[in-house]
Amino acid sequence: MKELSLNILDITENSTKAGATLTSILIDEEENTLRLTIEDNGSGMSEEILRGVTDPFYTTRTTRKVGMGLPLLKLAAEQTGGFMKVESVSKDVDPVHHGTKVEALFYQDSIDFTPLGDVVSTVCTLIQGHPDTDFYFRHRILNQQKDVLVELDTRQIREVLDGVPLNEYEVIKWIEEYVNEQYSGPQDTE
Amino acid sequence: MKVSELINNGFEMITLPDGDREIDGVYIGDLLSWVMGRARQDNAWITIMSNINVIAVATLADTACVILAENVDLPEDVKAQAEIKDVNVLKSPLPIYETAVRLKELLS
Repeated sequence: MKELSLNILDITENSTKAGATLTSILIDEEENTLRLTIEDNGSGMSEEILRGVTDPFYTTRTTRKVGMGLPLLKLAAEQTGGFMKVESVSKDVDPVHHGTKVEALFYQDSIDFTPLGDVVSTVCTLIQGHPDTDFYFRHRILNQQKDVLVELDTRQIREVLDGVPLNEYEVIKWIEEYVNEQYSGPQDTE
Repeated sequence: MKVSELINNGFEMITLPDGDREIDGVYIGDLLSWVMGRARQDNAWITIMSNINVIAVATLADTACVILAENVDLPEDVKAQAEIKDVNVLKSPLPIYETAVRLKELLS
């Protein structure tokens, strides 16, 4: 995909389809690497399905169409010299602690590195499309020029909103501004 | 023009499970997610990518064949999958543009 944020959108849709009530999207940038972790508490996968999850035919041939999301993310990571791994615990194996974790490492100094793109839009799109599901988004950038920490937890927002749906236009607009403000850092207005 | 007719016309066979397939138009692209949504059925698809996802995209877009430019080859396991999934794969020694020009000459 042209932007990693589109991969994120795709993978996270799998999480909500798997019935996740909470999905975490973590991006850690440090020196020349970008680590993307998407973790959910959805129904998870059996070991057999997990083995085939990066095989595009395994996923396109089944009736439960998972899509090309994971094969393409794996390719995007490997093209930079990185990797992708998927861990999953099926609901059938552990009825309490189940879910899936996708972790991808990218080398940002590779010429084939796909830019992250508009991740704020991705997060807003996810919230808008799944207002009853919770998302935790954290983007950490550590380098010599700047340290940035951006966080958003819909569980906290939900508490404050007291029943107002998260996909109300004003709420989404507010979330977008709130996240963007964290990227631009504290303004010298004092 | 049939896919099999390209062979010995500047194109070399890698897999040819469905050589009688007719080619209608050409698509060029290496970003697989992009190609997936844009290549049309029966297109000859020119690319330099050669991983297993190429075969999946060719299947999803239902292209007539994949043409690997610049003498790119398929790894053995990918070649085996292409045979199983009925995906025609050819290769050309030319760069992508010249490969496309050669196809244009043959197709018109």
